[in-house]
Amino acid sequence: MSSTAETPAITLYTTQTPNGVKISIALEELGLPYTVKKLDLSTGVQKEPWFLAINPNGRMPAITDTSFPDGKAIHVWESGAILQYLVETYDKDHKISYPKGSREDWQVQQWLFFQNTGVGPMQGQANHFFRYAPERIPYATNRYIAETERLYSVLEAQLASSSSGFLVGDRLTIADITTWGWITIAEWSGIDVAKFPALQKWQKLLEQRPALKRGADVPEPSKIKETLKSPEAIEKAQQAATKWIVPK
Amino acid sequence: MSESITLHSHKGGPNPWKVVMVLEELGLKYNTIFVDANTGEHKKGPYTALNPNGRMPTLVDHSNNDFTIWESGAIVLYLIGKYDTTHKISFPDFDSTAIANQYLMFQMSGQGPYFGQAAWFMHFHSEKLPSAVERYVAEIHRILGVLDGILADKEYLVGGKASYADLSFIPWNWAFGFFGEHVAGWEEKYPNFTAWNTRLNERAAVKKTKADKAAVN
Ligand SMILES: N[C@@H](CCC(=O)N[C@@H](CS)C(=O)NCC(=O)O)C(=O)O
Ligand SMILES: N[C@@H](CCC(=O)N[C@@H](CS)C(=O)NCC(=O)O)C(=O)O
Repeated sequence: MSSTAETPAITLYTTQTPNGVKISIALEELGLPYTVKKLDLSTGVQKEPWFLAINPNGRMPAITDTSFPDGKAIHVWESGAILQYLVETYDKDHKISYPKGSREDWQVQQWLFFQNTGVGPMQGQANHFFRYAPERIPYATNRYIAETERLYSVLEAQLASSSSGFLVGDRLTIADITTWGWITIAEWSGIDVAKFPALQKWQKLLEQRPALKRGADVPEPSKIKETLKSPEAIEKAQQAATKWIVPK
Repeated sequence: MSESITLHSHKGGPNPWKVVMVLEELGLKYNTIFVDANTGEHKKGPYTALNPNGRMPTLVDHSNNDFTIWESGAIVLYLIGKYDTTHKISFPDFDSTAIANQYLMFQMSGQGPYFGQAAWFMHFHSEKLPSAVERYVAEIHRILGVLDGILADKEYLVGGKASYADLSFIPWNWAFGFFGEHVAGWEEKYPNFTAWNTRLNERAAVKKTKADKAAVN
């Protein structure tokens, strides 16, 4: 299983983004050793043939695991599928998951899809129109901010009625992990977080976890909170990102 | 309730029909309740008690203590996990399952949201916003290109057979007519994708689902 050798079996291809940190957080919570390969998206490395052989979709995160039980290396991409892979392969004690087929397990899958297909894509579009789009379209900006806030209100209601403070059952799961990174950049996306007190409480609860903090800082700590403090820094960050985001 | 499963569906939207396809493939009997989005009944009780996200589909399994689950991808995983014991459209081994889930996630987070936004800016939004249309048309073509590349040496996405991973893409593939000139010539541009799409549309369960959808629209 997880190797004690110098070279960990798992390699994570990532960068400091809400989708990337999902995987490093899960790896840290599970205590698995892994090697980080940082992808500098501004260089277009994610569209180079060697990386497309790992992920034909040309996006990060992706992982390679050489300790796959059948002896062949496996590549997995799509952050939600990587999280499922990690818990099914390595979380035998159900630290951040529930036994397969249990009621809680299906609920975890439901919230996992909710983030990966709802919160992620819609908040990503909010970022695009609020921060990066060369042409400012108020309608589009409002559309995606409003939809993201609607999705947040669904999370808010779930968390407000949760006795443990987590999305499903009594523990932190991959449903919380997949969601956390996006909530932390809400302000960047133009979302008014003050509207979601239960979500903020949940965020604080998660941030008390040393493993989560370690995973969140991969491959380096996020600069977003610092950036948001000054208009000049915001402007600079938007321009830098626009260079790689807008062409494709 | 005459059948043991109830599907809360929507006539026009792609996602409920993804679940129908899986129900049909597995030969499961189910009742359908169409929720009328025009009246907003999906944004209030009693529907939001089943699905707090106020979207369709939601599935209720009466044979499992009225077990209730929403998000089409999670419903598909529930159905195959519980009912596809002979692995007709799923896989017995962990390896293939991991990759099938990767493609399901790609459909759910890559194809669905972006095809959906393209449809919105082309057809539903009152004002013409060319740069928004262009953004999502570019993404449609990018995704078709990715699938075409993946399918260059394969008949199906995983394990040489049609599975829930392949089927999940079909409802949005049906929308090409809707995208019109923006995807003109897609059959020639993406031949591997096209051959795969044709193959899947020839399946009895897919044909039945398509006919059922046409009948209510
Ligand atoms: N649904 C995908 C989304 C991945 C995604 O959006 N990745 C971004 C970084 S956060 C990316 O690699 N973008 C590069 C590009 O578009 O060229 C997942 O969850 O893995
Ligand atoms: N090609 C992308 C570049 C930007 C990008 O990859 N953004 C990521 C976040 S880092 C995103 O929005 N992902 C959507 C998701 O995770 O579903 C675009 O134009 O949106």
